Amino acid sequence: MATVATCGGDAVGVGSAVATASKSNVTSFQRRGPRVSGTNDSGPRLVSITGTRPSVRNGQLLVSTGLPALDQLLGGGLAVGTVLLIEEDKYNIYSSLLFKYFLAEGIVNGHTLLVASANEDPANILQELPAPLLDNCKKEFDEDVYNHKTPESNIKMKIAWRYQLLPKMEQIRPVSSSRFGHYYDASKRIPQELIEASKWHGFFLPEKISPTLKVEPCSLTHGYIKLLQFIQNIIYEEGFDGSNPQKKQKNILRIGIQNLGSPLWGDDICCTENGDSGHNLTKFLYVLRGLLRTSLSACIITMPTHLIQNKAFIAHVTNLSDTVVGLESFIGSERETNPLYKDYHGLIHIRQIPRLNNLVCDESDVKDLGFKLKRKLFTIEWVQDNYLRQERNIYPPGFSYLLKQKDSAWGEGSLQHSTFLMSFLAKATAFASRLVRHSEPLKQTGSGRIRQAAGPRLWHDGRRQEAPGLLGIPP
Amino acid sequence: MLDSLLALGGLVLLRDSVEWEGRSLLKALVKKSALCGEQVHILGCEVSEEEFREGFDSDINNRLVYHDFFRDPLNWSKTGEALPGGPLGALRAMCKRTDLGPVTIALDSLSWLLLHLPCATLCQTLHAVSYQDSCPPGDGSPVGKVHVLGLLHEELHGPGPMGALSSLAQTEVTLGGTMGQASARILCRRPQQHPTDQTQWFSILPDFSLHLQEGPSKEFQPQSDPHIPLVDPMAHLTFNLHLSKKEREARDSLTLPFQFSSEKQEALLRPRPSQATSHIFYEPDAYDDLDQEDPDDDLDI
Repeated sequence: MATVATCGGDAVGVGSAVATASKSNVTSFQRRGPRVSGTNDSGPRLVSITGTRPSVRNGQLLVSTGLPALDQLLGGGLAVGTVLLIEEDKYNIYSSLLFKYFLAEGIVNGHTLLVASANEDPANILQELPAPLLDNCKKEFDEDVYNHKTPESNIKMKIAWRYQLLPKMEQIRPVSSSRFGHYYDASKRIPQELIEASKWHGFFLPEKISPTLKVEPCSLTHGYIKLLQFIQNIIYEEGFDGSNPQKKQKNILRIGIQNLGSPLWGDDICCTENGDSGHNLTKFLYVLRGLLRTSLSACIITMPTHLIQNKAFIAHVTNLSDTVVGLESFIGSERETNPLYKDYHGLIHIRQIPRLNNLVCDESDVKDLGFKLKRKLFTIEWVQDNYLRQERNIYPPGFSYLLKQKDSAWGEGSLQHSTFLMSFLAKATAFASRLVRHSEPLKQTGSGRIRQAAGPRLWHDGRRQEAPGLLGIPP
Repeated sequence: MLDSLLALGGLVLLRDSVEWEGRSLLKALVKKSALCGEQVHILGCEVSEEEFREGFDSDINNRLVYHDFFRDPLNWSKTGEALPGGPLGALRAMCKRTDLGPVTIALDSLSWLLLHLPCATLCQTLHAVSYQDSCPPGDGSPVGKVHVLGLLHEELHGPGPMGALSSLAQTEVTLGGTMGQASARILCRRPQQHPTDQTQWFSILPDFSLHLQEGPSKEFQPQSDPHIPLVDPMAHLTFNLHLSKKEREARDSLTLPFQFSSEKQEALLRPRPSQATSHIFYEPDAYDDLDQEDPDDDLDI
């Protein structure tokens, strides 16, 4: 009790705590568990909406894009309030598949959908969505996944044995409704009852715009203005921007816009080289991003950038979008015959990842990503993985096909191979550790000067110690 | 394949060039669909009506519905016969047709329309005409397929409009050939499926019927051979990649210095004399080179 008297200001608080402790005969520390009272928790807690989760890095609310592999590459998922732009492949096969995965994920999670298209009726688009994978289908999936594995993959790694412990790319797991990302069967259609149970709004441009008879140099923004008004109305009426406070259950609006920028929207950015009307699309993206940032929604846009003649314009569009993913399919190109790419249908390029409330973005350091559409699944993998199913991506790009040859002088198990590998690894790690140190914040030394981290340092206790060229050993 | 072009519906682009003209193929396809009993509409913009109709016999000529925009494209003579709205109005009127049955619309030529109309408007109108199965199902009866055949001179347009029209088209037929033999490279884009690419040799008979052929004789084959040789990464290497059997055995029996064998595992698990982790203390003196580029750079070998 003497300590209570000397505390002063907060004596009351301490006193009462001690008093309760002496009364109830338990410690004053209480385990945080389920509250017995069951009243509404009024503290600042994250809104828990189905199908979302907070990012582990910065707490941003994320939704799944429908492909768990793509979620992993984007740093956990698509942030709510942002735009995912997909640069279409030449024949629009795989980009429309990603579009459908996004919408199907919305249906499975119970989100509201808004589908806008100029060439297809949104009702038809919804009919073609892939069916979600259920638990009892896991068996057939295992066969699908494992039938392409060669017997070599069972050999344990001899040199890079530590990499066996690394997690592999996303494996197929059965779905349950509480999980964040779901898997879909691309060969089956979504069951009709799921579509009917879901809430969706469609915007089909030819219905909304009546064709006028005279040939005007089209008010090109007409289609875009209509679409923006439609989106704004839906957001306002259904309360996605918080304007309807009596709604108890918050939900996410998933917006999908197909083939934006194609001539069917009335935009001639794909037709002309000089693009004097290119501002329509950029204005649209700007206003759309403003609408999204003030509401609980996420948007996917597919754009035929291979048709856009003005390459600087593509840079404008990339800057105005948040996440940009480009798809490049091998159909008809010379890469189809390259043995390096023989198991893949195309490459996927992550062109931009946004920095939301961050200084750095969550970019994965893998640059060669290929995708393939198997009969049922759409998978994304490192291209190197195709050759290096045993050893993980520790080989320098460009040399992997040499080092893979089992019966060559450079093959795995040879002294040349391991020496080459170790020297490469040493250089790579030293380079990487130097980069990591460079990005550390400015440090103050004892003399009061602010000094920048200029090289690899080992300790931060004020003593300047450097070991040039050696691998950084953590304290 | 060429004769089943019309079975798919949608927009068919016939791309021709100066060397290989496509109007005769257009007329052959028009004749074919007229003989099948379809309704045929022609938008004639580039050549006169007499020139288009020549070569057809009278029963086919009676079936063709010809919209003439060659003689008076801007409707200056203000007679009642010209359609209001020009070719675009005519196309839009075809969107709103009420009679059923398959229809073929031949555009002669799409190049003329591209040069006179804004590209985006033309694309929207072509899309509205070709995709008429998005009609409301209240009709009950299915509307027949619409085939739109467009003749496009590919040398007149830049990559922008050509790309835009190609993405819109269901089928693209590019005319070419060697040594007097005409060929058609048919690229068929079905929705959500891989595009198919075929080459068909053909010739057009004087009465505009299509005659499919096998192809030119064998000595011309390598010119038109589209097969790309497999890229071989093993070629042009300065070192040997193949081992003989003895070398392979010797290599397999070698123990590698960095391999995690059982001896090394025991060495690691044995309690070490000093438990402290390794520290490296380094005090750089005045003459030290702190260049971090390559630690081995200042080695003097």
